[in-house]
Amino acid sequence: MFYDSLLLAYRNIRERKFRSFLTLLGIAVGIAAIISLIAVGYGMQYSITEELIGMADIISVMPGRQIIPGMGGYAETITERDIEDIERIAGVEDVGPWMYGTAQVEYRKERTPVTIISGDTQDLEEMYATYAEFEDGRWIYEGDHRGCTIGYSVAHEYFDEDIGINDRLIINGEKFVVVGVLEKAGMMASADLDPNIFLTIRAAQEVLGTKDIYMLTVRISDIDRADDIGEEIEETLDQNHNMDDFAQAMTMSSMIEQIGTVFLILQAVLVGIASIALIVGSIGIMNSMLMSVMERTHEIGIMKAIGATNSNIILLFLTEAGMISLVGGILGCILGTITATLVSIGVSFYIGMEMPAIITPEVMIGSLSVAILVGVISGLYPARRAAKMSPVEAVRYG
Amino acid sequence: MIRAVNLKKIYKMGEIEVPALRGVSLDIPDGDYVAIEGPSGSGKSTLLNMIGCLDRPTSGNVFIDDVDTSKLNDTELAKIRREKIGFIFQMFNLIPTLNALENVSLPMMFYGSSRGKRAKRAEELLKIVGLADRANHKPSELSGGEQQRVAIARALANDPPVIFGDEPTGNLDTESGKGIMNFLEKLNKKGETLIIVTHDPEIAARAHRSIRMRDGTLKA
Repeated sequence: MFYDSLLLAYRNIRERKFRSFLTLLGIAVGIAAIISLIAVGYGMQYSITEELIGMADIISVMPGRQIIPGMGGYAETITERDIEDIERIAGVEDVGPWMYGTAQVEYRKERTPVTIISGDTQDLEEMYATYAEFEDGRWIYEGDHRGCTIGYSVAHEYFDEDIGINDRLIINGEKFVVVGVLEKAGMMASADLDPNIFLTIRAAQEVLGTKDIYMLTVRISDIDRADDIGEEIEETLDQNHNMDDFAQAMTMSSMIEQIGTVFLILQAVLVGIASIALIVGSIGIMNSMLMSVMERTHEIGIMKAIGATNSNIILLFLTEAGMISLVGGILGCILGTITATLVSIGVSFYIGMEMPAIITPEVMIGSLSVAILVGVISGLYPARRAAKMSPVEAVRYG
Repeated sequence: MIRAVNLKKIYKMGEIEVPALRGVSLDIPDGDYVAIEGPSGSGKSTLLNMIGCLDRPTSGNVFIDDVDTSKLNDTELAKIRREKIGFIFQMFNLIPTLNALENVSLPMMFYGSSRGKRAKRAEELLKIVGLADRANHKPSELSGGEQQRVAIARALANDPPVIFGDEPTGNLDTESGKGIMNFLEKLNKKGETLIIVTHDPEIAARAHRSIRMRDGTLKA
């Protein structure tokens, strides 16, 4: 009987080719939306996680309570002594300080404020090397106390005249020589690179007139002990500053975890949006099946008159709904895969970072099951309505 | 053996109740050939639908082989229609998307016969009604007489003891009509019970007995 209902359903679908196709398209679009959004979401998570895993041997340390000007708060920052103490912790290889600030920059009589980023020159290079190439020149060396590397916007947008290497800048009254000009960075890193001037720590201390350290990056030798070392760093700093939670040490694994949570929420929102498309599709199936029931009232009557039971009729209509949604689901998987692939190619190109479309078998199977489930549920009401008709009324109809 | 006891059927048209049967009792023994006659609106089709288990009476009982059908649920009633009854309609009522062979197979499909068995039996039946060469034609490609013969083959599919005909020749020309009636009578001679609703006195005259109806009651 089941095989027969497949055959009969197929006949009926073929009889109403165009309408069946439209119904099927409704489901397909819903499924395609879900698949492509999930694939792109996974891809994003994958590429960002990959990026972070590449830095798994780094713990970043910041003062935990931010200083809010004028609101009291803690005016203390990380000190030289903190760095020395952290360097003494077992498993710590290297501690890199980072400084940020704004300075007045003068170039050929023109002045404008620019953000200064400063750190160990090696750290600078490692942190940013993957995001941008050099238009000309190189990163500053540790000995370049009068040299600076500048971002693309600083070189070409901030001043009337373009800046090239060996040009001279006056930063907060101190003279510097440009040793490197970066190319425009990809979207992901553009804010970190393009509008900034990079200096050595010593130069930054002079220029900014402070020894305040904004953040530390601690390189460790054993990734597995990252969390323990992170805790030890926090304790050491809290002791130094005599505060409960002065410092916050962030390992990459805890960062990855946090990002994972964010992506889970993102996924839920995306799937929620895609579900709307699916709901619209399922209303389409229900509508189409109801029309099919109305059109075939006469046929249903005949079938019942020659001995079909209510469940026979329900099976026939559910098979038809299931078939439309299964084919719609398969089409949706194909469309979704194509869309996701195109989006990932586009996005990868745009942000200059590889972001693959990740489509797992689970997502495929899940989407197909959802499609069939939606089809069958939407078909249930019309099917029951068809089955409940009195044979004599139905035969007389039409 | 079909027995009807005090059948009443009232149709509700909005607020108005229209009685179609006002208490009809009759016995039809196995192998009988009965014509039910009467003008339109006399309730003859309603009576046929009740004793053919297509519809339930408002009150009264229909016994098929001593089973009280008023006590059966929808599924059991469907089983009676499938196994004990073959129905032939005035409008043939074939499924338009299926070819002749598939139409004939349909009752056997609901019965649960295997595909092989069904195909064989359907071919046999089409041969009996003289349409072996039209097996793959859709109803729209067949003449009225041919469609009705497919319908007869379909009615015989599960080998039911009773055939009901609701004006089976009403939509056919005289020649085709005669052919159909001859064929049905041949079945009756082989022991099939035949119950035909008609308003053609010529057909009524050929039956073993004729029941006349008027205003929802039997006229002796």
